[in-house]
Amino acid sequence: MSTGTARRRTPAEHAQRHAAAARGTGTLTGVGTAALFILRRNWLRLAIWALVLASMIPVVYDSQQQAFPTQAARDAYAQVANTPAVAAMTGLPYAAGSLGGILVIKIWMTLAVALAFAVVFLVTRNGRADEEAGRTELLRSTALGRHAYPSANYLVSAALCLATGLLISLLCLSVELPATGSWVMGASIAGTGLAFIGLAAICGQLASTSRGANSLGVALIGLFYFIRAAADLQAEGVNPSAASWFSPIGWAQNMRAFGEDNWWPLLALASLGLAGCLLALRLESTRDLRAGLLPERRGPAAAGSFTTTALGLALRLQRSSLIGWFLGAAVSGLFFGSVAQAMSSLLDPENPFARNFVGTGHSMLDGVLGIFVLFNALLAGAFAIQCLGAARSEEESGRLEQQLAGSLARGTWLGAHLLIAVLGSGVILLLGGYLTGAASQGSAAPALLAGACLAFWPAVLSLLGLQLLAFGYVPRFTTAIAWAAYGISVMAAMFGGLFSLSEDVIRATPFGAIPRMPAEDFSWAPLAVLLLISLVLGAAGMGRFNRRDVLAN
Amino acid sequence: MASNAPAIEVSGLAKNFGRTAALSGLDLRVETGQVAGFLGPNGSGKSTTIRILLGLLKADGGTARMLGADPWQDAVALHRRVAYVPGEVNLWPNLTGGQAISILSKLHGEVDERRRAELLDLFDLDPTKKARSYSKGNRQKVALVAALSSRAELLLLDEPTSGLDPLMEQVFTSCIREAAAQGRSVLLSSHIFAEVEKLCETVTIIRDGRTVESGRLAELRHLQRTQVTVEVAGNPAELAGVPGIEELQLSGATASFSVDPDLLPGVLAALAAHSPRNLVSAPPSLEDLFLRHYSEDPALPVSARGGER
Repeated sequence: MSTGTARRRTPAEHAQRHAAAARGTGTLTGVGTAALFILRRNWLRLAIWALVLASMIPVVYDSQQQAFPTQAARDAYAQVANTPAVAAMTGLPYAAGSLGGILVIKIWMTLAVALAFAVVFLVTRNGRADEEAGRTELLRSTALGRHAYPSANYLVSAALCLATGLLISLLCLSVELPATGSWVMGASIAGTGLAFIGLAAICGQLASTSRGANSLGVALIGLFYFIRAAADLQAEGVNPSAASWFSPIGWAQNMRAFGEDNWWPLLALASLGLAGCLLALRLESTRDLRAGLLPERRGPAAAGSFTTTALGLALRLQRSSLIGWFLGAAVSGLFFGSVAQAMSSLLDPENPFARNFVGTGHSMLDGVLGIFVLFNALLAGAFAIQCLGAARSEEESGRLEQQLAGSLARGTWLGAHLLIAVLGSGVILLLGGYLTGAASQGSAAPALLAGACLAFWPAVLSLLGLQLLAFGYVPRFTTAIAWAAYGISVMAAMFGGLFSLSEDVIRATPFGAIPRMPAEDFSWAPLAVLLLISLVLGAAGMGRFNRRDVLAN
Repeated sequence: MASNAPAIEVSGLAKNFGRTAALSGLDLRVETGQVAGFLGPNGSGKSTTIRILLGLLKADGGTARMLGADPWQDAVALHRRVAYVPGEVNLWPNLTGGQAISILSKLHGEVDERRRAELLDLFDLDPTKKARSYSKGNRQKVALVAALSSRAELLLLDEPTSGLDPLMEQVFTSCIREAAAQGRSVLLSSHIFAEVEKLCETVTIIRDGRTVESGRLAELRHLQRTQVTVEVAGNPAELAGVPGIEELQLSGATASFSVDPDLLPGVLAALAAHSPRNLVSAPPSLEDLFLRHYSEDPALPVSARGGER
């Protein structure tokens, strides 16, 4: 546990240290050593979380300063900032006429929720996950108090929250935002993290697996996020609704950095965190090591006849992932639709940055809608690659071998996984496009946008074709090749113009080739070419897979 | 039992992974209705052979036939008549053990539901638990229940008991005996000599991807020498002249030596004259045979390498 001691300790010194440790007999004995140990195991993770989250402040501040360079521009923004979509997604906008207020609108919710995720994962990682893996057992057999390790875990997580908050405040001060607001900004985000340490600590007592504890924690973040979203939608003007007090995220929002700058909700957030940790320690004293307070969920003793088919099994394995992606497509579609109008009226057609991004389309609104259609296509592409990637992980884990040792043809098995990726991406395209139109308050017909999105299907299929080819010929590199091709396509389609790539090069990438309706006119040729490429690559990959060795790791 | 062809017939099988040769001239034959042992150290090519028989790997040379058909060309049809238990069982973590059994056993053709319930009971496996929470032994039980509840003609078992406790191993032994009694063929790859000696009629021993010994267990034993330790009243050194006694070692009144089984009657008669007080005779074990093939220098006699039991 000692960092960087060059020489080895003699057994006598060891005994001395143990005797020293054994002098304490309380349940917290050794908490300092445990905290150092956790820090040592997690320092890189902790540093990345804190630095990435805090570095958003100058990045977003810069971009907003460019977007709204004058007080007049900010005042104009303040007039239109309070839309239901903004209130629901990022919180009730207030002080939208100041740079601090705009910073809060753009990034506060992201940072607060991200920090909540960070502490949930961190508390589980050093709590329930260690216990599940048997490492806690080993530690408890030493002269370590019963509550020492979990307490150290909570303390380290709290330190992450405080460090992140402090960095955020200092970075706000460094761009000369108002001092009080800067401190409240950091404190409200740190406070959100502190509150979720308490909640995550309780989750770690309830579930008996790390997966279960993380799921419970994430579900709580989701629940409290939606409670405050509903509250913010009910708010009148810029005054928060009373319902926002039912969510700790709401408490932190109500600190109103760069607005009223309330300090006292911080006390409530810290108290919730502390109370949660104390309750968790109490619960831990009442249960056996490795047990959870919630009974482990049992499942069916046999599979239904559909699940035993190749397609049924693949669907069952992808079930939660499919639901997640479809929900994501629906939510982003609704969001895109609801902001399309406002966004197109805000963008300055003379701004070269905006021109590059939106393209030289028919109108600014069509350009914005075209971008949203592209976003939806990128989402469908990511889904498809992840979905077909499941086939490779079945092979890697050795589970494919056991299935193919049965009377299952290779083509049938791979076909089932491919079918889900192909049809699933089609559903995401149609769903996202349709809902964008439906939420656009008449800016675009839902069916038209659904069609515009579906035009990107061949682009998605061509990426799947490449993935199949890799799976056939170089299975070990399937995932890397598929995501690299996706990444390059995304960069070219979204930022190709900014990187001064020529139009021809952009048109030669999957997402760049498809006409971006409604900003551009439809044409069949690129779709047909991409479809042909998909078929050739896919058939070659499938054919090779039928002839190659099945390799588990 | 479709034909008179042997259950497994492999000759001169070769397989390379890049530049390493996993198999180079492997022969293996399992007659219909026979339980055959397949012995070899780690990395000797047991699993590779089984994977080729399952059509998962393509052989680079030699021939392999299973149930009279080509394991690569006719894989899917063959697998309805075959059940497989891998040494390392991987299951879908968020499905239950019972669901995994359904999925795997259905892939091996017809499922005997009554047998499945019996086996779950025998192996003491809770099928409603998520596979994530299973130990290695429990995952192996899932694969065993799936394989044994099918009506497969041929069982391919790749170190199937490596995670089982002795009690469960016994259950496994009786299940295999039952399968053999029903006329099914079994290929049992294993490290556990006792298991192979208990269950198998024939044994094939491989080394570095090549068959070094194969035949009926009884005949292979015959090739080996019996190890005898005896305590006599007189001077044990006098035994040195008895025909058939070799590798004589003396320690006080005790003598240990090896005897060719054919010469055993004459040696026993000679021993009787020395008034033996205590006599231990160990038949040649499979372990001796095995170690003989795996020790550094195959020319050394078995007893010199501590094969004594």
